[in-house]
Amino acid sequence: MISVNQLGMQLSAGNQPVQILHNISFEVPAKQVLAIVGPSGSGKSTLLGLLAGLDRPTHGSIHIHGTNITTLTETAMAHFRRRNIGYVFQAFHLIPTLTALENVALPLELQGVTTGEERAKTLLKSVGLEQRFHHYPIQLSGGEQQRVALARAFISQPPLLFADEPTGNLDSATGNLVIDLLWQLHEQHDSTLIVVTHDSALAARAQRILTLRDGAIVHDTALST
Amino acid sequence: MTPIALKLAWRETASSWSRFVFLFLCIALGVGAIVAVDLFATNVENGILGDARGLLGGDIELSWRRTMSPKGQDVLDSLAERKIPVSHITELAGMAALESNEPYDHATKASSQLVELKALDSLYPLYGKVIVEPAQPTEELLAPIQSGCQRLPCFGAIAQKSLLIRLDLNLGSELRIGQASFIITAILEKEPDKIATAFSLGPRVMISREALNATELVKTGSRFHERYRLQLPPSNNLEGWLGELRGRLSPEGVQVNSYRDTQPRLRRFLDQLTLYLGLIGLTILLVGGIGVACTIQGFITQKTPIIATLKTLGADSSQVMKIYLTQSLLLGGIGSLAGGILGTGLHQGLPLLLQGFIPETFPMDPSLTPILQGIAVGTVATLAFSLWPLLAIRHVSPALVFRQDVDQATSHMEPQPWAIKWMTLLKHWWNDRVGRLTSLLIAGCLIGLAIWQAHSLSFGLFFSGAFLVAIVALLCGTSGLFWILRHIKFPQRLLLRHATNNLQRPGNFTKAMTLAIGIGVMLISTLMTVQHALLNLIEDQIPTNAPSFFFIDIQPDQQTSFTQIVEQHIPGAASQLVPVVRSRLIAIDGHPINPEDHKGKRNGWYFTREYVLTTLQALPKDNIVTQGQWWRNTPPRHFSDNAQGDDNLPLISVEEEGARILGLSLGSTLTFNIQGVPLVAKVSSFRTVDWGSFSINFFMILEPGSLDGAPITYIATAKVPPKEEIPLQQAIVAAMPNVTAIHVGDVLDNIAKIFRQLAMGIQALALLCLITGAMVMIAAISINRYRRLRELAILKALGGSRGLLLFSLGTEFGLIGGFAGLVGLGLGCLLSWSILQFFFDLTWTMNLPVLFAGLLMTVLLTLITGFLGTYRLLGLPPLSVLRQE
Repeated sequence: MISVNQLGMQLSAGNQPVQILHNISFEVPAKQVLAIVGPSGSGKSTLLGLLAGLDRPTHGSIHIHGTNITTLTETAMAHFRRRNIGYVFQAFHLIPTLTALENVALPLELQGVTTGEERAKTLLKSVGLEQRFHHYPIQLSGGEQQRVALARAFISQPPLLFADEPTGNLDSATGNLVIDLLWQLHEQHDSTLIVVTHDSALAARAQRILTLRDGAIVHDTALST
Repeated sequence: MTPIALKLAWRETASSWSRFVFLFLCIALGVGAIVAVDLFATNVENGILGDARGLLGGDIELSWRRTMSPKGQDVLDSLAERKIPVSHITELAGMAALESNEPYDHATKASSQLVELKALDSLYPLYGKVIVEPAQPTEELLAPIQSGCQRLPCFGAIAQKSLLIRLDLNLGSELRIGQASFIITAILEKEPDKIATAFSLGPRVMISREALNATELVKTGSRFHERYRLQLPPSNNLEGWLGELRGRLSPEGVQVNSYRDTQPRLRRFLDQLTLYLGLIGLTILLVGGIGVACTIQGFITQKTPIIATLKTLGADSSQVMKIYLTQSLLLGGIGSLAGGILGTGLHQGLPLLLQGFIPETFPMDPSLTPILQGIAVGTVATLAFSLWPLLAIRHVSPALVFRQDVDQATSHMEPQPWAIKWMTLLKHWWNDRVGRLTSLLIAGCLIGLAIWQAHSLSFGLFFSGAFLVAIVALLCGTSGLFWILRHIKFPQRLLLRHATNNLQRPGNFTKAMTLAIGIGVMLISTLMTVQHALLNLIEDQIPTNAPSFFFIDIQPDQQTSFTQIVEQHIPGAASQLVPVVRSRLIAIDGHPINPEDHKGKRNGWYFTREYVLTTLQALPKDNIVTQGQWWRNTPPRHFSDNAQGDDNLPLISVEEEGARILGLSLGSTLTFNIQGVPLVAKVSSFRTVDWGSFSINFFMILEPGSLDGAPITYIATAKVPPKEEIPLQQAIVAAMPNVTAIHVGDVLDNIAKIFRQLAMGIQALALLCLITGAMVMIAAISINRYRRLRELAILKALGGSRGLLLFSLGTEFGLIGGFAGLVGLGLGCLLSWSILQFFFDLTWTMNLPVLFAGLLMTVLLTLITGFLGTYRLLGLPPLSVLRQE
């Protein structure tokens, strides 16, 4: 369960303050699939980053499973992310010096688990990359890189999964494949999934759509799935 | 450390190794310098310890400089009865003159030469080996020669090659020394007990003891050095022997040394030399450390997206820091290893640069400990210089993965007055516990390194303080120059403006480059200024009326002939003959002096040295009485033997500094031992002496009549026109073979030569500092390579020609060189002024041409270095660069 209350975010570009989010409040029940949509600059990615604890809001609170993550120290937040959050980026953000297998096992290794290789292999197999264990990101296509990123996001079996434009850098066929896998993994792991997207077809697969404009929620639509 | 940290560290290093080349070089040069100096010091130490018996010439050496007292002689005789092998050596200066039938041009060509004589017995050397050419037993080479000589007695002699060169001799040539003739039978290649060859009064000539007696050079009051070397059976107790001999012979003025305390002066000199070289090495490492800090900071900036990604995956700052710290240490370790190899090579060169200052027999083998220590020092320095830039990892927000171009509101700082800005920074530092602890750890590491390298807490702290002052001064100087650039309206030419703006742009490492080059410039300019001032003192500051010669060991019955010969060569020049007697200070105010109490101590020399006493009626012209009174111009008094009454004691005037160290006051009594006879004198005045006048001067001067009956010899000086120097020397040597003529010019030339060689050795190492500074500059430039590449591509795309871009880059690098040169030279002036003023008591003078040349060289060096770092970028077509974006 995620509970967002009066969330606001102000940044500065040069000397000019820019209000990115205005007093946003909403709740996301466990295991729901939520799509956040809106035009560029509406604050979608910022909201997702705040929900994932990647940034701190200027004001307001975010409670995840009863914990107000906005008050956590940097280290506590890092530990919280390890256990609870998986994140899929538009630009994949794989570590270029690690192989596909090592990239997937990385979150477990950061938790001190040194036996994550088998699990990483299973996950890579489940996204169809059993032939690519020892390839470096530069040796993989965009779609393959995103599939590695998907496997990495799920390796810790996090209850929450965030995906920021997961198909933004992919062609439509590859994008569809990645989305299918994302949904498949979400169902297998029973996680809450929040996706930021421009893609209306992708948004339509969600249970609920939150539409943002100029940093405020303009629509909160529940869909029947 | 988790395996992932090691894995990532290794992979990052392997994938970006070219970015770390200069980090390697910065660390390698610093470690190389330290390892070279430490290996040199270790070899010297091992040489002294390992070959201590060879260097001393025995297990125990008894040495003295006067005729032995009967009591002492009894002890020496008893050694033979106890079946202890004793080798007896006598060393003294003497004049060697050519013995030739052929006509010789005495007016222009030297036919005599001051030599260092060493008379050996058949047991020499007890340890080690004399190497001669042709290789024959020493005893045979020095044996009496009955035929083939122009005069008898005649003996064989072994001479250093320099004597043969100076007098144009060959093997088989004949020489006259004193009253004996010598045939040169061999050339001396290596002398096992010769500590240092850099300074000597003249070439070494080895003769037999029998030959020494035949020369008749050892006379009452003449200057010589006797050495008895003892070879103890292995089972004998060295300490027991030392105790016994010191107890019995120290009161007789005999120095008793064992091989265990070999050559304290040599050790002290080498300790100090290696300390200074070691600190220059540390300076190089610290300058290299600036390069490490720049490289790591640049690397971390480039790795920000990866750091942010790791944080989104749940890594906390400490985990990420571990990865990059591991990487830094890995790089530093590899660089240090390379430095260890470099240092091993460099240390082979140090003995060449310091030739003559260390015994020829010392081996120069690499040993493991200094190399391992150097690697450890390099790794600690890498840690210290990496930690601060690595702290920036804490401030990398994971949000950067999706937002890189917008600053967070809190990170923006309004323009503030500098005082408030500094206060804010200080407050921020104080509130940042990790930052505070890290900066303390860094300071601890650096100060610890300095203390370790200096082998002294106080010196290490002093060095750290001085280094900090230099850094602060360089940073303040650079900030001042930035301020000038900002506030003075330069011609607003675009590329000029671009260059000056580039200098002040955040992340351009201008201050780091200035710091690295500036420290090198400071070090070299300081060394050159001090060297110039000291050489100036040695070479140019000799007073015009300084004598050309000092003549020593003139016997009382030779006074008249000596004066006549001098008068013949320089009519009207009244050469003053001064009576002297050699003595040893044995008591102050009746309290006996035990030489053992002062051995090896600072200024202990004043208590243990041989004092040359004289009697003078008038105060010498270069002396000023500072306390007490000079004796009245009355006829000489006569003193009864062993007089105890204060009024009947002869008066003595003591040089002020010596009096201070000996703890004297007016009225103190000094007891001297003059060849076994005590002389008590009462201190009546203290004097300052201008030692730089090159006149005959003394620490101790007695009132006339005090030395009546003592074994007096005379010394004299003579100021001779250059063309008369050789003829006068020949004439004196021919008439009085026992008199030693010391040519002041030759001695000073010798000192200047030694000093130049020593300075060259130190400067060669200091030059490494400047090279390291250049490496730091290239490292700093290469960090911003991609930014610079993009800028150059845009400027080219907008129509900038290669010439214009070169002008812009040249201006930027030239200004960096100018900044570093100006501030470095300014600091060099300050440092050299302090050294000359406080250590050498010399006046510092500004040498504008040298400073200007230094500035020009620095600008040139930075221009070359800068272009080396960027010339490839200039050649790239702009489209290929911009297309990559």
